[in-house]
Amino acid sequence: MATRAFQRLPTAPAGRILALRLVAIALSLCIIAGVLALSGHSPVMLAELILRSTLGSRFGLEDLMLFMCPLLLTGAAVTVCGTIGLWNIGAEGQFYAGAIAATGVALGLHGPVLVMLPLMTIAGILGGMAWITVPTLARAYAGVNEIITTLLLNFIASLLTYYLTTGPWRDRISGAQVSTQRLSVSIPEMWGIVHWGFPVAIMIVVGLALILSRTRWGYEICIGGANPEAARYAGIPVRLRIISVMLLSGGLAGLAGMFEVAGTVHRLQGGMANNFGYLGIVVAVLARGSCLNVIPAALLMALILDSGIVMQTQQLSASVILAITGLILFMIAIGDELAHYRPVATTPAKGKAS
Amino acid sequence: MIMLLTGMLATAVLAGGVLALAALGEVLAERVGVTNLGVEGLMALGAVTAVMTVSSVHSPWVGLLVAIMVGAVGGMVFAFGAVVMRANQVLCGLATTFMGLGLSTALGHSYAGQPVETTFGHVSIPLLSSLPIIGPALFGQNILIIPIYLLLPLAVHFIMFRTRHGLNMRAVGENPAAADAAGIPVMAMRFWYVTLGGAMAGMAGGYLTLTYVPVWSEGMVAGRGWIALALVIFAGYRPIIVTLSALLFGLVTALSFVGQAHNWPIDPAFLNMLPYIGTMAFIIVPVVVWHRMRRVMAAPAALAQPYYRDVR
Repeated sequence: MATRAFQRLPTAPAGRILALRLVAIALSLCIIAGVLALSGHSPVMLAELILRSTLGSRFGLEDLMLFMCPLLLTGAAVTVCGTIGLWNIGAEGQFYAGAIAATGVALGLHGPVLVMLPLMTIAGILGGMAWITVPTLARAYAGVNEIITTLLLNFIASLLTYYLTTGPWRDRISGAQVSTQRLSVSIPEMWGIVHWGFPVAIMIVVGLALILSRTRWGYEICIGGANPEAARYAGIPVRLRIISVMLLSGGLAGLAGMFEVAGTVHRLQGGMANNFGYLGIVVAVLARGSCLNVIPAALLMALILDSGIVMQTQQLSASVILAITGLILFMIAIGDELAHYRPVATTPAKGKAS
Repeated sequence: MIMLLTGMLATAVLAGGVLALAALGEVLAERVGVTNLGVEGLMALGAVTAVMTVSSVHSPWVGLLVAIMVGAVGGMVFAFGAVVMRANQVLCGLATTFMGLGLSTALGHSYAGQPVETTFGHVSIPLLSSLPIIGPALFGQNILIIPIYLLLPLAVHFIMFRTRHGLNMRAVGENPAAADAAGIPVMAMRFWYVTLGGAMAGMAGGYLTLTYVPVWSEGMVAGRGWIALALVIFAGYRPIIVTLSALLFGLVTALSFVGQAHNWPIDPAFLNMLPYIGTMAFIIVPVVVWHRMRRVMAAPAALAQPYYRDVR
C-alpha cells in the first residue's frame, strides 16, 4: 500500500499562500540577480540604487504614486470581472478608449474646470464601457470567450489612438510626435506632481470592496462566479450580472485612462497606456479577488515599474520590466497551486490506511 | 483583375503562413487539454532569435531551427508550470507572453530596424508554379509554403483522426481521468504536445522574420499570436480547417495591403485594424448566426482543466 505524503485541498489557506508567494518573489529576484550578474551588472549595487531612488527619495515616492493610480483602477477592473469568473484582458484597450473620450471632450468643449473635469470623467468611464460592450454582449448572449475578444480590441484601440494623434488631433502647436496638444484642463495636484486622482482611485477601490462584500448585487456576483449553475437555480439573473460587471470593469479601466490623460500625461499620446492594462491583470492576480488587496498589489507593481526607470538609467532596456513581471507572475501561479497541498502523516502499513 | 487576384493570393498565402503555423501548434496543445496563451510571446522570441542567428550564421535554415528550438524551450517552461505543477493555465500563459515579449525586446535591442539579409529566397516549382492564380501563390514563393499549407496540416489531421495515438491524444483532452485509467500517460502527453505547440509558435516567429517581414522591431508580432488563438476556436480545433482559416485571414491582411497600394480613401490605420476586427467578427458571428455550430465546434471537454489523479 503506497502512502501519499501530500494531499490536495480544494482551497488553500491564506497563510500558506502568502508564505509561498514570498518564496516565489524571492526566487524570481534571485533568478533576476543571477541574470544581471551574468550580463555584467552588479545586482547588489543595482538593488541599493533602486531602493534609494524609489522609496528613499521624494521624486521616487511621487513617481510611485503616479504609477499606482492607473494600476489601482485597472487592477480593480480585472478583479471585479474575476469575481464573476471572467477575465478582462482588454483593460489596455479600455484605458485608451477612456483616454480618447476624455481627450475628445477636452479638445471639443470649453468651459470652467469644475464643469470640464466631471464631463471628462463621465466621458472616460463611458469610453471604457463602450469598448467592452461587444465582448460583454458576445459573452452574455453567445458564450464567446471573453479573453480573446477583449484582447483583440486592445490592438484596435491602440491603432485608433495612433490614428487620432497623427491625424485629426495631432499637435499643431508644438509639433510633438504621435501626440495631441497639451490639454487645457487638468486634475489639480495635491502633493508634488501627484494629482487628486490618486486618493480618488483609493476611495473607489475601497468603495468597490464594500459594494462587493456588503450589497445584494455584490453577493449575487460572487455566487455567479463561484457556481453559475447554482446561481441560476437560485434565481439570480446571471446574464444581467455578467453584463453589469463587465461594463463596470470597462468603466474602471476607462477612468484610469481619463486620470492618466488629465492628471499625469496631460495629452493623448501613442503608447501612453504603458502596459497598465496588462499589468492590471498581474495586480488582480496578486490581489486574489479581493478589492482591498488591490492596494498593496498595486503598490508592489508600481515599485517594480519605478525600478524600471532606474534600470533604464543603467543601460538596461525598459522592456526587461515586462519580462521580470512575467517571471514573477509565473512563479506566483506555481506557488499558489503548491499552497493547495498539505503534508499528510503517513501511517504504518498496519491497520486501515484511509 | 487576374493580376490583382494573383497578387492578393500571393500576399495572403505569405501572411497566412505565420498564423497557420502558430494556430496548428495551438490545436495540438488544446486538443490535449491545455490552453497556451503564451503563443504571442513565443512567436516574438522565435522571431528575434531567428534574426540574431542569421546575422552571424547566414543560413535561413539554421535561423529557423534556432527559432523552433527556442519556441520548444519556451513551451517547456510554460508546460512545466501549467502541466507539471498544474498551476492556472491562464496565468502561466500570460506570464509566458510577458516574458517572451520582454525578453525578445531586450535581446533584439541592437538588431532593431536592421533589414535581415539572409532570408528564404524565391523558389518556383516547375509546371506547378505556372498554374493560373494559385501557381505563383503556392508554388512560386518560398520553400516553406508547401510544408505549412499541405504537409503539416495533413500529417496532423492523419495522426489525430486516423491513428490510435491520435485517439489517445484526444482522449486526454476530453476525459483525462478515463484516459489515465486506460493507461495513457496523461502528463507526458500534455507536456510533449504543449512543447511541440511551442516549437511551432517559435517556428511561426522565425517564418515571420525570415520570409514575410524581414526586419526585427519591437511589437512586430502585433497580436498574431492572439489571432492564432482565436482561429483555433473559430476552426473548432481541427487542423485542416485551422489552416484554411489562416489563409482566409491572410486574405484579410492582403486586402489592407491592396487598399494601401491602390490609395483607397481610408486611412492606413483603419486598414490595419481589419485583421483584428475580422477576427472578432469570425469568432462572434458564427455562434450567433448558427447555434448548432456551438456543439459541432465545441472545445475539448477538459480544456484548461488541470488533471489531478488523486481527486478523481
